[in-house]
Amino acid sequence: MYWFFLSKQTSSLDNHQQPTLADISTLLQEQGYITDTSVSMSLFLSLQLSKPLLIEGPAGVGKTEIAKVMARALQTDLIRLQCYEGLDATHALYEWNYQRQLLHLKMVENQPQSVDEKEQTIFSDSFLMKRPLLQAITHHRKPVLLIDEVDRSDEEFESFLLEVLSDWQITIPETGTIKATHIPQVILTSNRIRELSEALRRRCLYLYIGYPDFEKEYLIVRNKVPGIDARLGEQICRFMQQLRTLKLEKTPGVAETLDWALALSALHIDHLDKNIVEQTLGVVLKDWHDTRQVQMSLSELMEKTGIHSKLDSL
Amino acid sequence: MISRQTSLSRNIVQFCRYLRQKGFSLSVDDETTALNALQFIDYHSNEVFRQALKAVLCRSRSQLDQFDALFTDYWKELEKAVDAKEKKQPKQTLKPGVNQDSFKALKSWLTGNKNEEIEQTASYSTHENLAQQDFSAVPADDLDEIMKSIRALSRRLAAQSNRRYEKSAKEDQPDLRRTLRKNMRNGGELMHLIFRKPKRNRTKLVVLCDVSQSMDLYSAFLLQFMYSFQQVFRRIETFAFSTSLQSITSLLKQNDFSNAMKVISAQNQSWSGGTRIGESLHQFVTDYAARLLDKRTIVIILSDGWDTGDITLLRQSMEVIHAKARKVIWLNPLAGYTAYRPAVAGMQTALPYIDVFAPVHNVDSLRKLGKWL
Repeated sequence: MYWFFLSKQTSSLDNHQQPTLADISTLLQEQGYITDTSVSMSLFLSLQLSKPLLIEGPAGVGKTEIAKVMARALQTDLIRLQCYEGLDATHALYEWNYQRQLLHLKMVENQPQSVDEKEQTIFSDSFLMKRPLLQAITHHRKPVLLIDEVDRSDEEFESFLLEVLSDWQITIPETGTIKATHIPQVILTSNRIRELSEALRRRCLYLYIGYPDFEKEYLIVRNKVPGIDARLGEQICRFMQQLRTLKLEKTPGVAETLDWALALSALHIDHLDKNIVEQTLGVVLKDWHDTRQVQMSLSELMEKTGIHSKLDSL
Repeated sequence: MISRQTSLSRNIVQFCRYLRQKGFSLSVDDETTALNALQFIDYHSNEVFRQALKAVLCRSRSQLDQFDALFTDYWKELEKAVDAKEKKQPKQTLKPGVNQDSFKALKSWLTGNKNEEIEQTASYSTHENLAQQDFSAVPADDLDEIMKSIRALSRRLAAQSNRRYEKSAKEDQPDLRRTLRKNMRNGGELMHLIFRKPKRNRTKLVVLCDVSQSMDLYSAFLLQFMYSFQQVFRRIETFAFSTSLQSITSLLKQNDFSNAMKVISAQNQSWSGGTRIGESLHQFVTDYAARLLDKRTIVIILSDGWDTGDITLLRQSMEVIHAKARKVIWLNPLAGYTAYRPAVAGMQTALPYIDVFAPVHNVDSLRKLGKWL
């Protein structure tokens, strides 16, 4: 086989530790992560091409989970940077441990060291508090860096992130530039609270994960809640599918489905009826208005789900 | 063998160009990535091949949705081209009656009715179109989308003003006096640093929203805007008026939006009739102005200025509001039309006391509002 680009890329093929596409699929399955091929393909390619993977989708569909699976696949550590509004470089990169520096100076006050020497000690590694980004760069092996909910951070931080993601080096004025020992495998997640910049998108592979359809959700429930009654599992999933068609403030994700299935199976319930749904709705809906809206239209929902409470109670 | 493979890579480059035509913004880098990706996958399987290209070339959800159709289109065309020599397919000729669409198009072209051809460009997006859409002409289908973008916009505007104050505050400036005071107990050793930042000089907002019939089409959107704004921007007071004035601040704070709208419109029905801006503003001046208005307050009035009430009362009230508040912004949905002149008597009277007179008839104009806050 001859490919014009093979010649310069052969070195990466020597690296036989890299998992294949099939490996990734089986690994996802082994970890109980049920999904379609697009997810494993994106994961696989982002690994092979060493590009960051940007995952978008509604809350509770398992975006963060993917990073964990990835870390397991590579048998490496997961370093997580949770983004929030107002997150800045000091919280993402590093900070000097000021108090410790001060105490140290106090302790060596009477020792015959020159000022330069003292200065060198207090600006050394042990006084540096590494935040996730610096941690990821200086990690002893190639880690998975999860930048969670990047849409929550400010635009300034996003552009700062862009710089780090392209250069993989961080400059600390007191000590100098730190270059990445291993370039981390990056996964970014976003709930689409705000649109991310085109520049950031460019650098990443893109993956969208939506709510699963009935079959997939049912599989997930069966997988994660092994002891569940088959009929109950089916009813729960059908009910959730209907629930998501309502206009709710916070549409429940797969995480809620699983919580609910766990709760109901722990109560040894083998089918849904109106009473049970009403009593346990708090597991699925986390908003007062949503709860009320669903309570109002519960009969209709049950009907659509295909559960006839009268028949069940007989 | 070799020629086939080079043709594959050439096809991929051409496919990228095809996607670019369809509005994907792909760089040469992306083409390289796509080609690189091929070496890791089994490209003989059509499915795997499609998945891989999809994973590499898409940048957003809408692109993901479009991709499969484009992929099929392109490779179908290509197959046709490859097999062209064999002439399996009979040549398609244009017969009237068989190919209705193209026949019609030809006919209308011949008769001189040049229909505008729909062109897809890279800048095409439903959001942009909706942003330009006049609120009064929003089809019910797009309502959700517009509401969503209004919510996002107001959140961003509010966040912007938040950040502005934080950045102007030099947080890294140590407060020496307090630091020394606090560290006295450590024998003057500066263990705890205290930083200072200028006191937040936050702007307050007072919103007066006309909910009379003439404003009906717009007020729903404006209230949605104010509602989302209020969720993040705390120092804001909202009033609704048509013939009389009512504070809806707590209503908006406590309820979810659809409920709040129901309550407001229920009250609005009982008021029905013309707008009496003068009386309403006068009521605001007598009941609330002393408490709410100061030099840090921006007053936003949302109204079209159609007034059936007392003009002198309007002038007096506007005078007071103008004198007390930092800025008066009058948002008029009609001002969005290019031919609009503020000729209505109410508008004429109020104009001298207004600092900013601006349109609010679509999402874009709401966005510009951020500039003045």
